[in-house]
Amino acid sequence: MSQKEIAVEMRNIHKIYPDGVVALKGVDFIVKKGEIHGLLGENGAGKTTLMRILYGEIKPTKGEIKIFGERVKFSGPWDAIRKGIGMVYQHFTLVPTFTVKENLFLSLLSINPKATIDEAIEKAKQVSKQTGLRIPFDRVIEELPIGVQQRVEIIKSLIREAKILILDEPTSVLTPVETKDLFEALLKLKQQGITIIFITHKLKEVKEITDHVTVLRRGQVVGTVETSKVTEKDLARMMVEREILFKLEKKPAKPGREVLVVKDLEVYDDRGLPAVKGVTLTVREGEILGLAGVQGNGQKELAEAIAGMRPVASGKIIIDDIDVTQLSAFERYKLGLAYVPDSRKVGLIYDMNIVENVALTNLYRIISKKSRRMKWGVAEKIASEVISKLEVVAPSLSTPIKYLSGGNQQKVMVGREIVREPRAFVVTEPTQGLDVAATEFIRKTLIHLRDEGKAILLISTDLDEILQLSDRIAVIYEGKIMAIGKPEEFTLERLGLLMGGVHA
Amino acid sequence: MPKENILYKFIRSLIEKIKIKKHEYIMATIEIVLSALIGFLVAGIVLYVMEYDPGEVFYIMFNYGFNDPEYLFGKAIPLIMTGLAFSIPALAGVFNIGGESQLYWGAFIGLITTYYVTQYTGIGTLGTIIGILAGILAGAAWALLIAVLRVYRGINEVITAIMLNWISYFTIIYLIIKFFTNPIIPHQSIEVPEKASLTPYPGFIIAIVGTLIVYYLLYYTDIGYKMRVSGLSPASAKYAGFDPSRAILSSMIIGGGSAGLGGSLLILAISHNIDTTMSTIYGLGFTGIGVGLLGRNHPIGIIFSALFFAGLLIGGQWVELKTGAPPMLSDAIMGIIVIALSAPYAYRLLMNYLSRLKKR
Repeated sequence: MSQKEIAVEMRNIHKIYPDGVVALKGVDFIVKKGEIHGLLGENGAGKTTLMRILYGEIKPTKGEIKIFGERVKFSGPWDAIRKGIGMVYQHFTLVPTFTVKENLFLSLLSINPKATIDEAIEKAKQVSKQTGLRIPFDRVIEELPIGVQQRVEIIKSLIREAKILILDEPTSVLTPVETKDLFEALLKLKQQGITIIFITHKLKEVKEITDHVTVLRRGQVVGTVETSKVTEKDLARMMVEREILFKLEKKPAKPGREVLVVKDLEVYDDRGLPAVKGVTLTVREGEILGLAGVQGNGQKELAEAIAGMRPVASGKIIIDDIDVTQLSAFERYKLGLAYVPDSRKVGLIYDMNIVENVALTNLYRIISKKSRRMKWGVAEKIASEVISKLEVVAPSLSTPIKYLSGGNQQKVMVGREIVREPRAFVVTEPTQGLDVAATEFIRKTLIHLRDEGKAILLISTDLDEILQLSDRIAVIYEGKIMAIGKPEEFTLERLGLLMGGVHA
Repeated sequence: MPKENILYKFIRSLIEKIKIKKHEYIMATIEIVLSALIGFLVAGIVLYVMEYDPGEVFYIMFNYGFNDPEYLFGKAIPLIMTGLAFSIPALAGVFNIGGESQLYWGAFIGLITTYYVTQYTGIGTLGTIIGILAGILAGAAWALLIAVLRVYRGINEVITAIMLNWISYFTIIYLIIKFFTNPIIPHQSIEVPEKASLTPYPGFIIAIVGTLIVYYLLYYTDIGYKMRVSGLSPASAKYAGFDPSRAILSSMIIGGGSAGLGGSLLILAISHNIDTTMSTIYGLGFTGIGVGLLGRNHPIGIIFSALFFAGLLIGGQWVELKTGAPPMLSDAIMGIIVIALSAPYAYRLLMNYLSRLKKR
């Protein structure tokens, strides 16, 4: 393999974030010129970090990058753009109120300050002809469907003469028809010698379009393989294979009656596209149902719909035989539902103190019904209970929550739900960003709650967590449940396939 | 000794509070001291360039501004209430710059109801009480209009408030000239009957009571709690199942009610009438924005910041008298000091508001 044939060569890339998180541990990543190269991995495997390094957005802690054989050091994306690298993010970087041609002009200006708008249009027309990607030049971006916006984004990179195009989960926002269009265009680009790096977690797409695929797991390369020589099963195994780090002591579950029932639920996301497409789930008392899946497959929308934060398009949500589909979150909490959101920014009010934060979901216990007075004394008692039960380390009850560590914040968020003795728990990413001790504590707490007879729906993108805690496992992919069953029914390989959208 | 116990408890909780928020308090103190220094420095330079003696001007401003308590407290009454009119909605994440017109309506409706109730019943106290209540209702209703347009029609509250300010201004002038002029002094409205009017001190006490009620509503009822949660973190409010429209509506009602109370107290305790140029009631709502910001949107802070403002206003008048400086100059000096003092807080508030506007 001569040097010229290689488009991207990244050697021994390490990345340690300032907060101590190790994202990449000695990654070698080599992409040949003119190929479509897949980059596959779970959430947190380091795909996006690696690509952001290649695009000059963040700097590697250690490592060497060569583009077309030339050693480079980027101080920012502008350097990468000049070397012919283009990036299409999941969230587009277009000015929504500008027209298509204005956006193209803007991007051309960034490499050539003397460019004119006619030049931009001229170039774009040429690119459009070569790739078959048609775009309306005079329309305003925000009026265009997502698929067309993505085309604009791709053409934007191409008119800057990008030779290497990075696409970050490009199909996650597209309909099947739009995906087909995109793939046709990508193949045409390939014919013209453009190198494409395709980040994804969808196994089918990897098989369909890539020439080579590199699989990342926990910041390390599992391997780079020729796509035609591996099966989806092989890829799934490469992606998820792991040793279970530590086992938790767990008694066998004694599931009782059905507490939380979700029937044929359909929910839209913030953009108004269907995110949950007919999900049916049942959680019994005394069991943990783990919902596995790669981030962005409808988990957030499902959880929010169950909690009452997001309207339901169709279907039913039943808590303890009461249909709560039309009730507000506040009323559902009163009926015995608890929801721990995936983000502390949602669950906690950083500028308020511990007592005021504990009051948030315990409010129905704190207000006196007649005078609407806040019984702060009661709130303080509940807060002390949270602190002692979950061993929260805090200077005092009136400490603003923002001064607590992440682990202690999480404990407050989980603890205030536990102390109000709900019957059904919906818990999303309960240990995200926590250290080992806090993680173990929270997981043990969840098992303890299960033993007390609570019904728990655990939504997590962390497979270890799912495997450690679940009494039953369900896998969600693109808003649909792929499979549901006992943990014994799932091998790691099967989980990987299901999470990647392959029935197994 | 239960009395000592309560005192002891209070002091202990205060010390604890200071300990926990030590960093915040130190930063706030540094901020205020620095802001004041910059403010006086810039104001001093302006005075120096305009060929006035900065030392003399500041001496007059602070010495004469604060030496007549009755005048000072009277001047502070409407400012406390318009300060609240800005700050309460701000806590819920709404920018109410309509305190101006909410005060107009409080003043106008307060005046008319007091006048007619006193005339028909002959009982002054009854006129006062009903006048105050009517003023509160009028201010609240006018603010509610802004909130309803925002909640149900998605119209930005700042724009509505600016337009309603001018609509109110000219409507009230028209109403006074057309229906309620004083037959003896034609450029003034009818007077508050003597037996229904108040002196500044009781007016000030009512304003303080109003502020304490607001404080109670904000920190000891679920209405206030929901408002504050919505203001600090709309996502958390949604998570808890609070209705965001409710927070907007109730904060504007309480805020508008405060401005309305300010208007009626102004009429009852200070000016006793509205003149047809609106000079006695114009500008208090806008000044209230500064009062609220300087008081860090806290009811108790607002009482002190209103007194400070009132002192500066009075001091400014003395500066005009004693040095012959034009009124614009003393306004400018006051403006510089106030802007310097409230700029850091206002900046944070504005950034918060803008980031939220983007998400909407």
